[in-house]
Formats: sequence, C-alpha cells, structure tokens
Amino acid sequence: MAYSDKVIDHYNNPRNVGQLDKASTEVGTGLVGAPECGDVMRLQIRVNSETQVIEEAKFKTFGCGSAIASSSLATEWIKGRTVEDALAIKNTDIVKELSLPPVKIHCSVLAEDAIRAAIGDWKKKNSVAETANAAAVAH
Amino acid sequence: MLKVIDSAVPVACWSCSIGHNDFTLFCPHCSKIQPPPGGDYFSVFGLEPRLNLDLAALEHEFHRLSRKLHPDRFARAQENEREWSLADTALLNDAYRTLKEPLRRTEYLLKLLGAEIGSDAGTEQGGHDKKDLSRVPADLLEEVFELNMQLEEMRMARKLGETDPELQVSLERAKRKFDVLLSEVDQDLRSQWQVWDEGDAAVRKTAQKLMVALLDRRRYLSNLVRDVTETLGA
Repeated sequence: MAYSDKVIDHYNNPRNVGQLDKASTEVGTGLVGAPECGDVMRLQIRVNSETQVIEEAKFKTFGCGSAIASSSLATEWIKGRTVEDALAIKNTDIVKELSLPPVKIHCSVLAEDAIRAAIGDWKKKNSVAETANAAAVAH
Repeated sequence: MLKVIDSAVPVACWSCSIGHNDFTLFCPHCSKIQPPPGGDYFSVFGLEPRLNLDLAALEHEFHRLSRKLHPDRFARAQENEREWSLADTALLNDAYRTLKEPLRRTEYLLKLLGAEIGSDAGTEQGGHDKKDLSRVPADLLEEVFELNMQLEEMRMARKLGETDPELQVSLERAKRKFDVLLSEVDQDLRSQWQVWDEGDAAVRKTAQKLMVALLDRRRYLSNLVRDVTETLGA
C-alpha cells in the first residue's frame, strides 16, 4: 500500500514533535492508544486561560507512518484555535486531508481521540465546567 | 469428548434426499459427500463452540476427515463431488488451523459472537461511536509510552556508537517485566476459557468482555516484547 505524498511529508518532517510540561496547569495531556495495532500517541496543548486559545501543541507518536502523520497534522490544525474550535475537528477531516486508505482510518480516530483527551485533561485541571464558567462571568 | 450440535438447520441431501443438518460434511444416511456446510468452524468437527478443546481429539478428527475428503478419493466421482472434496478440504484446513491455536481460537470465537477485535476494529468510518475508549487501561499506556521512549533513546545512542550500560540494564529489566505480564495475560485468558465454557448466557457475556480486553492488552505487550528484544539484540 502506498502512502500519499502528504503522509510522507508529515512522516519525514513531522511538525511539533516534542513535549510540554505535564505538571503545568496551562498544559493538557492526552495519551491514547489503538489496541488494533499497538500504536501509542501523546498529544499536549498549552492553552491561554484568558482567551482559551491553544498557543502551543506538541506530540510524540510511536506507530506507523499514518499515525505519525495524523498526529502531526492534528497539532498543526489545533494551534491557534480555541479549545471549542479544536473539538470540532473530526477524524474524517484528517482522513480527507491525508487521503488515508480504509485500513488506516483508525490512525485518524486515534488523533481525534488524542485532541479530545488533551482538552479533557486541560479542562479537568482548570476545572472548566464551561457552563459554570459562563454563569460566573454572567454574574 | 465430541458433542454433536442438535440445533442445526435441516437440508435435503442432494443424493438420497433425506433431510440432515446443514453442518455435516457427509450425509448421515447415504454417506455421500456434501457441499461446504454453513456452520462455524467448531461445527465442522461436530463440536459446540468451546474454548477448552481436547487438541488430541481435534487432531484425530482432522486426520480422519482429511482422509475421507481427500480429492484422490473422488477422482472418478461426479464433477460436483470432485469440487466439493476440494472446497470441503479447504474449509476443514482453515477450521483446523484456527481452532488448534489458542489465541486464534479465542479471537475466532469472540468475533463469531460479534466482538470487534484485531485489525477489523475501528476501521469503519462509522465505527468510531461504537469504540470503547477505555479499553486500554491508562497505566498500561503510560508504561508502553515510557518504554518506547527508552527504546528510542537506546536506538539513537547506538547510531552514535555509544552504549549506555544503564539503559541496557533498564531495558533488560523492562523485558523481564513485560514477559511476566504477558504470561499473566495468558493465564487470565485461560481461566476465562473455563468460565465461558461452563457459564450461562450472562456469565459468558462478562467473560467475553474480559477476553476482548485481555487480547487488546496482549497485543500491546507482545509488540513491546518484540521491540525490546529487537533493540537488545541489535
């Protein structure tokens, strides 16, 4: 099976590989795995608590080319977005962008899961219950 | 002890027209060969789905049926019988290969019962919602990730011509640990076989869930053991 040029590009020049300080309250960490193939993916975000914008995103993935490309692309996409905007990214968007074949769709699912897990972790740390926050602002 | 399935769909034999169940390779009345039966791999051997199998009896039955189905025996038979002897033999071989190997047997039975496991899982576009994200425990993921980091570090150091004895030691320790975890998973799987074989519908359902989780865990562990072994041996 041939990888698309975009997958090969992300694989050879992965964007945003690295690590953020897991202990920081500004940082959310998502560690997810795909038991189908044994891949593991860690995606981290640093969020500006004022603006809710994801200012930095880093990833580290142990897996196949498609898993690395999916997570690399995911960090590119979420950088500069607000947390809520980032949650709108769907695995099918990644599939389309990277022209992933059916057998590699689970890699994109993993990337979407990683985004959600990272944002979930950040929310938990900052006890963001969006509704409660909104209510607090309103009062 | 081979148990014959009694809840089979009756079909009429092409030769003697007497009805028999759809799981048999030979007509119980006129002994003529039948087209590939519609049941599962267990029923090919006249067995009910089970996880603890008598492997000696299975092998014995495999050889007996192989001889009976052998295409040489049908060299002068009708064309449809010649075709069926090939098709039935292929089915028998697939069934035997799957059932004799414990992990393949377990995966086969779980898939038969509707579980999503192995490479089929989560590959459908619409399959995402069905996936249970909590299937892999977080602490196992942490461990897998950490060990992968160590492996990468060791490979990089090797490339630069360095050998870090500390890293070597910690990898060897990790390998021993993951070997132990792997054999624990296998033990747990075996005890769930027993539970499933002897349980009622509700008990079986719980055992199935546990076995799917154990197989997922096993896949991670065996990948890790393979990678660590490769890195240590490089």
